[in-house]
Amino acid sequence: MSWNDSMIKQAKKIIKMYPQKRSAIGPLLHLAQSKDGYISDDSIAVISELVGITEVQVKSVSTFYSMYKQEPTGKYLLSVCKSISCEINNSKEIIDVVKDFTGLNNNETDENDLFTFEAVECIGACGGAPAMQINYETVEGLSSENTIKLCEWLKEEQPDVIIAEEMQDNFGGTKSFDWAIKDQSGTTGSVPGFQTFNTTKEKK
Amino acid sequence: MSENIKINVNGNQIESTPNKLLIEACEDSGIHIPRFCWHKRLDPVGMCRMCLVEIETPRGKMLVPSCTTEVTDEMVVDTESEVVKKAQEGVLEFLLINHPLDCPICDKAGECPLQDQTMAYGPGESRFVEEKRHFEKPISISEIILLDRERCILCARCTRFSDEISGDPLIEFIQRGNKTEVNTFPNEPFKSYFSGNTVQICPVGALTSTSYRFKARPWDLKSVRSTCNGCPVGCSTELNSSQNKMLRILGVDNDSVNQGWLCDKGRYNFEYLNSEFRLKNPLKKIDNELKETSVKEIYTELSELISDRNTNINFLIGTNSTNEDYVAFNEFAKNFPTTNQTFYLNDDYLYAGFFEQDINRATIDDLNNSEAIVIWAEDLKENLPVLYLRVRQAVKNGVKLIVFGHSNSTLEDIADFYYSEDIVSENFEIIKDISKLKGIKEHVKDKNVTAIIGKSTPYQLDEYLDKLVSYLVENSNSKIMNAFSSGNTFGAINNLDNVKNLRDFTKNVSSENTDLLFIVGSDPIGRSVFSNEIHRIIEDIDNVVCLDLFLHETSELCNYIIPTSSTLGEKEGTFTNIEFRTSRIDKLVPSPGQSLSDWEFISGLSNFCNFINNIDSLDGLNELAYQDFDNQDSPSFKNLDKPSNFDGIINDYQPNVSTMPNETITSQYFVGKKLYGDNITIRYSDSISLLGAKQFIEASESTIEKLNLSSGECTLKQNGHQVSANYVVNNKLADGVIFIPQNRRNFNRFDFSETIEISPNQSKEALNVN
Repeated sequence: MSWNDSMIKQAKKIIKMYPQKRSAIGPLLHLAQSKDGYISDDSIAVISELVGITEVQVKSVSTFYSMYKQEPTGKYLLSVCKSISCEINNSKEIIDVVKDFTGLNNNETDENDLFTFEAVECIGACGGAPAMQINYETVEGLSSENTIKLCEWLKEEQPDVIIAEEMQDNFGGTKSFDWAIKDQSGTTGSVPGFQTFNTTKEKK
Repeated sequence: MSENIKINVNGNQIESTPNKLLIEACEDSGIHIPRFCWHKRLDPVGMCRMCLVEIETPRGKMLVPSCTTEVTDEMVVDTESEVVKKAQEGVLEFLLINHPLDCPICDKAGECPLQDQTMAYGPGESRFVEEKRHFEKPISISEIILLDRERCILCARCTRFSDEISGDPLIEFIQRGNKTEVNTFPNEPFKSYFSGNTVQICPVGALTSTSYRFKARPWDLKSVRSTCNGCPVGCSTELNSSQNKMLRILGVDNDSVNQGWLCDKGRYNFEYLNSEFRLKNPLKKIDNELKETSVKEIYTELSELISDRNTNINFLIGTNSTNEDYVAFNEFAKNFPTTNQTFYLNDDYLYAGFFEQDINRATIDDLNNSEAIVIWAEDLKENLPVLYLRVRQAVKNGVKLIVFGHSNSTLEDIADFYYSEDIVSENFEIIKDISKLKGIKEHVKDKNVTAIIGKSTPYQLDEYLDKLVSYLVENSNSKIMNAFSSGNTFGAINNLDNVKNLRDFTKNVSSENTDLLFIVGSDPIGRSVFSNEIHRIIEDIDNVVCLDLFLHETSELCNYIIPTSSTLGEKEGTFTNIEFRTSRIDKLVPSPGQSLSDWEFISGLSNFCNFINNIDSLDGLNELAYQDFDNQDSPSFKNLDKPSNFDGIINDYQPNVSTMPNETITSQYFVGKKLYGDNITIRYSDSISLLGAKQFIEASESTIEKLNLSSGECTLKQNGHQVSANYVVNNKLADGVIFIPQNRRNFNRFDFSETIEISPNQSKEALNVN
């Protein structure tokens, strides 16, 4: 097994949440992706052993969903949104800028394994369009100039940890829900409405 | 039973049982609805949309897939309306978008549902001008199966078969949308014992087998219905040949037996028929060398030897002959009143206990109709593969499965109760009180039970099994099936008057009491656990006549060798299966050279000896075999050739088997058989020959550590005989248990009842010194 003890422990905890073991494949694949950045064949073998189905059945699930990466990505995965809200707010330009800067086409990784570029469907930041994600951390309200600056910063500084807030402060613009009516109770952060409908649960 | 319901299809009333699928109800009434993904034996999925029909609903007429719609009373269906036709044309146009038009080089062409239905229901032309999708073509997904993904129309028949029926889902859909393809996991080939079935049910030429690829065109094939004689399940088959060469075997849907499926050994173990190594002319040993001779000369010499009828004759009979052959031998033996007319069957698993107790015989269908199944036998998947499928099917239908055995059996995954180490000792004895086991208490006592009982290893003592059998007979409403795993065993014990097993042969037969020994279609030296003893005995006997297809370890020792026709496709006759169902074996191709059927040889010999010859015709033999039966239900040729009896007739023979109880010899190893072995027929069937060639032993990790093995290879040594083998880590085996397959080359020379020295192989560097 190529997973360490703590991951196996985490996996077993996930499996316990489902009445049938094989129902846990989805979250387990996320766990695998969080480890390697993509779904490796080794991880698939581990998952298949944990849930008691064959490797190819796990592979079948993991290749069905495009957000499980089948290939290793570069250090920074640049996911620029191309869905409707961002499109209206000129995401095409952002995509071109990133393409020009990195020299990459969709789903390509550069030689130094630094950048992987992809144009993705909605990342849930319509309020702050156009938006993109670096390693799944969102930055909103981009302009072409700021996008170039962001890319240059990544290339030169090569930070080990990407933090959404930090990027937003340095390179972002209008943020989702900046313009929304303030939540009077003050209990919900930037996303009003979620907790009042009890759709999310407190982490324990 | 609930009452039949009436539905209206295309203006005609048809009847159906409730809850039936519409496509099936129509099929039963002779109305064909085109389909690709739907298969009678698989769960419906509605993948291909080819079976769309119109039904009337409260909201008007509606297109529905008939393979996922159940019939309801008064349903009004139209399978031929303009809308349906348009839908079919649309579906076919879409299916053909990415399907290559390589029919001229495709093996399926001529029997291809896609081709046929495009002709019958297709639009006739395509509007698709873009490039079709391309894949590497074809890729091999196992040693015997090739996959051409361009041709695949994604009906999911193969993936559903491997998941639902055989339970080894090693192929699956990969990717999504127009990128979807069927494939295996990298480095994890489609290693299934049933993979050939996916080739048969593939509605296009996407899955092909190495043995049939590019060999023939379907319209050139001659075909005949027969019965597989590979194991006692007796699956119904269709044999295909072209230009007098056997080219393919297909499964035929026999509802009570194989339901259309075959194991890969039954399907692909036929190429030996065309092997250049087949014996073509009779051979005679002169000065220790085999020389070609004529049958007549052998007849003359043998008749001189046995003319006085006081000759001591013994028979060592294989399980690959037809019932008629066995009758011929039986009648022939009656000419020698002074000998005891005993037939030693080439089966080291055969024991008599089963026939001595008063039991109800089970049929294969009983598995589905009982409350629990009890199995204590050889690994079913390795030895009676299609019976394993039927057990699996029963378990899926909710029948409880209770299995005894070492924890190595493939049944472990599907069993509700699996009793291994703690309950079954190393020597295969149930060491706990059977009646106190939970599975037995809850599901067997006073319930309807079907049991499959047979020796797990040749060294198992008979009394252990007898104990379980008598418990079942006394405490439940049980039906019992005996699991012997080789060929036409049941035909032999039905038609031979006095049958004993190989162990008895080694005890009873010697050169002192045998002037002449007949060995018929068997290689006990090559594949039984009594190899060494039998080798000694045969060597000592002065006159040994062998009837066989090939020269092998046993036939090489004989003085006279008669080439025989193979029961597979080269002769007519009948076969009796594990439930005493007798069905037809038919002839399709001629046998090579001067080959004779077993009965033809014996009949000719009778003539030469001037015996009363009542065995000179096949029909006569068939009548002799079933003379005790009522004319109505006897499995005679006349009855079996009626279409209603193609699936065979179950008879209630009381066989006469008396084997010596095995009281003494045990083995410290777990000796058993794997599906593919080093049998002479597999050795000469090119596409599967390698599958049985690997020499290996199995043990758990800790056992291997104790043996100090490390390099992946080891050496087995005993009395100067030495074999290099791989070892396979199998953590399902209990500590200290070493599994040794008996059907591997050179393994037969070991005496498994004695210790075999297992040591690490010399390292590669040491070997490279010179």
